[in-house]
Amino acid sequence: MDPITFSIIRHRLFRIVDEAVITLKHVSGSAITNEGHDLMVSLYRADGSLLMGGVGFLHHLTSAAEACKAIIRRFEGDINEGDIFLLNDPYTAALHTSDIYLVSPIHHDGRLVAWSACFVHVYDIGAMNPGGFAPDAQDIYTEGFSSPGIRLVEKGALRQDVMDTLLNMVRSPEMVSLDMRSMIACNNVARDRMLSLIGKYGYDTVDAACQELIDQSEDLLRQRLAELPDGQWQSRQYLEAKDEVYEVFLTMTKKGDELVFDFTGSSPQAAYSVNCTKWASLGGLFAPLFPLLCYDITWNEGVIRPIEMIAPEGTIVNCTRPAPVSVATVGAIQSVNNAACSTIGKMLESSGKYRGEATAVWHANHFAIFKFGRNQHGGEAIGIFTETFAGSGGARTFADGIDVGGEIPNPISRMANVETVEAGFPIRYLFRRRMTDSGGPGKYRGGAGMEFAVMPHDSPDGGIHYVISGKGADFPMSDGLAGGYPGAPNSYVWVRNNDAEQANKNVDTRFAQSLDDMPGEQESVTWGVFPLMGEDALYVGWNGGGGYGDPLERDPETVLEDCRTGVVSARSARDVYGVVLDGDGGTVDAAATEALRRSMYAERLYPEAAE
Amino acid sequence: MKRRGSVRGGSGLNEEVQLKPAPIHARNGFMNADATEKRFIVATDVGGTCTDTVVVAPGEAFIMGKALSTPPDFAGGVLDSIAVAARQMDLSVEALLARTHLFMHGSTVVDNTLLTRSGAPTGLITTGGFEDTVFVTRGAYGRWAGQPEDWIKHPVASDRPVPLISEDAVCGVPERVDYKGEILLPLDEAETERAVRHLVGDRQVEAIAIAFLWSFYNADNERRARDIVQRVAPDAYVTLSSDIAPVPGEYERSSTAVINAYAGRLASGYLTDLKAQLAGQGYEGPVMVMQGYGGLLPSQEAADRAVGMIECGPAAGVIGAKALGDLMGDADVIAADMGGTTFKVGVIQNGEIEYAREPLVDRYHYVAPKIEVVSIGAGGGSIVSLDPRTNVPRVGPHSAGADPGPVCYGRGGTEVTLTDVFTLIGYMDPDIFLDGAMTLDIAAARTAFETQVAGPLGLPVEEAAFGIFRIASAQVTDLIHEITVERGLDPRDYVLHAFGGSCPILASSFAAELNVKRIVVPYTASVNCALGLVSADIVHEYSVTTTLPGDTDPERINALYAPLIEKARAQLAAEGFDEADTALDWSIDLRYARQVHEVTTPVYGRKPVDAAALKGLIDDFEALYERKYGKGSAYREAGIEMTLFRLSASGRLQRPDIEPLPLEGPDAGHARIGRREIFVDARDGMAPADIYDFTEIRPGNEIAGPAVVHTPITTIVVQDGQRARMDELRNIVIDFR
Repeated sequence: MDPITFSIIRHRLFRIVDEAVITLKHVSGSAITNEGHDLMVSLYRADGSLLMGGVGFLHHLTSAAEACKAIIRRFEGDINEGDIFLLNDPYTAALHTSDIYLVSPIHHDGRLVAWSACFVHVYDIGAMNPGGFAPDAQDIYTEGFSSPGIRLVEKGALRQDVMDTLLNMVRSPEMVSLDMRSMIACNNVARDRMLSLIGKYGYDTVDAACQELIDQSEDLLRQRLAELPDGQWQSRQYLEAKDEVYEVFLTMTKKGDELVFDFTGSSPQAAYSVNCTKWASLGGLFAPLFPLLCYDITWNEGVIRPIEMIAPEGTIVNCTRPAPVSVATVGAIQSVNNAACSTIGKMLESSGKYRGEATAVWHANHFAIFKFGRNQHGGEAIGIFTETFAGSGGARTFADGIDVGGEIPNPISRMANVETVEAGFPIRYLFRRRMTDSGGPGKYRGGAGMEFAVMPHDSPDGGIHYVISGKGADFPMSDGLAGGYPGAPNSYVWVRNNDAEQANKNVDTRFAQSLDDMPGEQESVTWGVFPLMGEDALYVGWNGGGGYGDPLERDPETVLEDCRTGVVSARSARDVYGVVLDGDGGTVDAAATEALRRSMYAERLYPEAAE
Repeated sequence: MKRRGSVRGGSGLNEEVQLKPAPIHARNGFMNADATEKRFIVATDVGGTCTDTVVVAPGEAFIMGKALSTPPDFAGGVLDSIAVAARQMDLSVEALLARTHLFMHGSTVVDNTLLTRSGAPTGLITTGGFEDTVFVTRGAYGRWAGQPEDWIKHPVASDRPVPLISEDAVCGVPERVDYKGEILLPLDEAETERAVRHLVGDRQVEAIAIAFLWSFYNADNERRARDIVQRVAPDAYVTLSSDIAPVPGEYERSSTAVINAYAGRLASGYLTDLKAQLAGQGYEGPVMVMQGYGGLLPSQEAADRAVGMIECGPAAGVIGAKALGDLMGDADVIAADMGGTTFKVGVIQNGEIEYAREPLVDRYHYVAPKIEVVSIGAGGGSIVSLDPRTNVPRVGPHSAGADPGPVCYGRGGTEVTLTDVFTLIGYMDPDIFLDGAMTLDIAAARTAFETQVAGPLGLPVEEAAFGIFRIASAQVTDLIHEITVERGLDPRDYVLHAFGGSCPILASSFAAELNVKRIVVPYTASVNCALGLVSADIVHEYSVTTTLPGDTDPERINALYAPLIEKARAQLAAEGFDEADTALDWSIDLRYARQVHEVTTPVYGRKPVDAAALKGLIDDFEALYERKYGKGSAYREAGIEMTLFRLSASGRLQRPDIEPLPLEGPDAGHARIGRREIFVDARDGMAPADIYDFTEIRPGNEIAGPAVVHTPITTIVVQDGQRARMDELRNIVIDFR
């Protein structure tokens, strides 16, 4: 194929996906779609294999491929021009029920030539708890509406009966209706643009370009893998849910131009909804693989070919029906993301050529906190705290991680303004700022996470409630690299301030500037539904990224700078970085620092001698 | 002829004013001097590379002057370019300025201040607990916004831009306003004073931005903080977020305040200095400064709004295209400008211009009304390269710039650029480039292209060059597609204006693919931005933020507008405008409740509004919404909300008519200067083409493609099967239908 036409078609395919994403965001009104960018649009070949992955939540690129294939299997012979299918069953292909796939066949001259697929995290799916994440769910049956494949649009006409059935089962059906509408519009745009591409260049040329694009991606990734050292790297991620701790254990083996991800040794499936299915695990490991190994390669089926996954059945990374999975995307899937990021980072770090591409783990513990209740305008509101999408960067081999810098699996996320949240929910923020000591220490520090606190404000019901499926409070999860420390754990604190008996009841906490300023009874909350009523406050702190290299090698002046800006405490400067600041903390005491670092090195070698 | 430069102006926004013919020769406050004596309007646009001047006078042809820009002291280039224009009129600068009654000005000074990081050391005072807002940029938003695919797919290699203010120059102070604008916590004045002393004392800042939560609803705390700054540090330059960007969204509002404080003193110093220099040369009139929204402000007002000047050059370009479109009777125009490094495009739809929703300047977010102009790194200087692994060719985004420039310039450039490709396929005349000011080294371009591109591709030089040309054309097509089709606009309804040194070379190819109605290469293409200045009016923008339901009582809306109108009238009266020369345009941002996308909708009906006007507004909004976001996107069930009430107050400036020239016969033979082989797209190869000298072509002459027209500042390619003509305004027009 001539390189010119190929280059143009490749660019057009990317533009098609981009335009469909814009359509999706335009039509959808929800914060999770528009602020969090919790969405995905991609194009697939006629057989359902990935053709052009878009920039969205990347763990969906392969799952939606499986969704297309599942629809092909189920509806073989009855797939018509203008149809759109809905699929959200995690045991068929989806990640969890609230991430609904709409997949749409694209026909040219009566022949099925491609698929478009997209998802959004719908406003609600009728699970036990509002918003889709259901910490209280016992099994998949309590996680809301779920379909292994149903025709939603038939030859261009919406099947209102199907839509009404779905809407009948969810909270805030008008918002879910809008989500559905946005996905239909998105698929329509993708189809129209794909057809005009074929119209301009002809089916044969476009098809040949698509085939070549896939082969090219495969060649490029294989070349890259061949350049990387052979070896085996491991990562162990701890994941807590309520009172249990689970492990995701990954051994990644690179040999020649192939890569095997083996999850043997991971925990048996959980009683709680942090589990994930095998399609979700596959998506979970590809989410970091695309941007870390294929930053300059088109994301398609070709990238998938050199990769193999082993995920034993009945484990937390390949659970069997009817295990609950609604928290998967911030549960086992994210642990798979983290583990894959960690092992890929280690592999890159051990390569001369690709060392600069290595990274410690970014923002490893999403917190899904959905606030819900009647708002100050009298309406019902459900909404995630989009702060979880603000993330934090892992340290790199040449620089610190980016403070509040996002995350790897969702490259273009962002969080809402405080004013946006306060306008729509009866709550008020006390503070929202970078959290001290949240970034993993290292020669290069992990990017900081943040902390915030909210209180009820002008609520007609005296407050609201929230569903939390928070993790990472007991264990740090953003692993460091090459001696770097992990980012700090998360914390979720319910400051109970309504008890008349309470000692500090009379202290005014309304403008507290830190958790220490809030003298109510502080209770850690991670799992379930909790009130935010009266004078209660909810405090959330999220982890920073992992560090890179030995913190004792960090330039003391940089540590001082971090102390000045409050990203690192004086205590950590001394105890972790071995940096001694002078009396008022304004300068580094170079001699004392050197002595302290020497003794800390010695202590590592001869711990007994130090005691 | 419509002459309104107001952004949303043009089509009957305000009946009471619109019914009167545009008073071209009307007098107003700026025109009180004797009109025969002071007959000239001088407009100067300072761009990154060149400074352009246009001089207009009633009944006379435009005089254009071009000089190099002189950063960082841009005033020098301004006077140089005025001098070039004056020379053509056989006048001295003093003589020209003495007879000038109006000086209009656009300048890249603020963009340049940000780009070169030469602003004032700046501090920020903000609500305690939210000190990090401008640094954390709503998470990764500040890292990926405005970046291309390559960057977004590569997070490990992508950082935020370095902040304009240092982290230790931010002070949080106790204060709090809530979502209703109620003050929950009055400003802690002692703490604020301490903060100010810290900033100007320890941190040595010279400018202070003040940005508090919800200040756009209640600015009392911000104003009290400003009073403290003025008392404690009277020399500091202060910007309040509630003044500069009174809209919701604390990150963008704070960022805007910081940018304004950072560049403010420099911008205002620049305007004062320019005014003094002009006065020194005998100019006594007002200096009008272009804003990013396409209207002018008197310099004393513009001086405090540095962010308003951001990208005012491209905005003026769109205004210029709109003025020309109005003149030619085209309400739908795609204005495309391709120079050395970037391709920029703006759209005028039904005489109206689109605002940018999430504007960025040098990767910093800000919020200010600004004409939407999108761009990609594709220009004549864009480097042509091959992916070393796959051999897939690409154009840009890197550029050889003007120095060393393309290989064919012979100034030491070694990397092949798009201009080199144009040279290889016969579009450039090596001997008369830039009016003969420079010759092109084709042999060097050929050798470099063969080694770097054609050889590795295994293609003959010409064939590879055709391919590169097509890739560039496709990139530009995709960008225009993005700003039209992806926003619900159909390019087939549009006229394409091609500006800049490179655009008219490519336009006949990409415009054919986009299937536009016609291409216009304006006579004034090289000084389009300066022309835009001449076409603009004084426009003041006011707004108030509050949320009202769509079925609200019209009187509530009128009550919101009353103080804005009073302010606007006083302002325009102070500037010397008769009421007859002013227009007050209302527009309201509406959205469907529970959706996040707002659409600015003009109020066409009676004002103050009544029930009928309100109904018209709602209908217009619904139509606009579906056009913009696609059919079926409207979500009526949830109801409609109004969120922002805007008033655009314009004062019309006097300007002369452009006199059409008489049309002559179609024969252009007298302008033909040769024949050579050029690349002809439809024939997929080189073919002989006629070459014309623009300066010899007369209105009414026609040219059949394939042909090339060389003008002193650009090159126009007419493809096979196309027919170009010169119209009565000396524009070159290629009709497609």
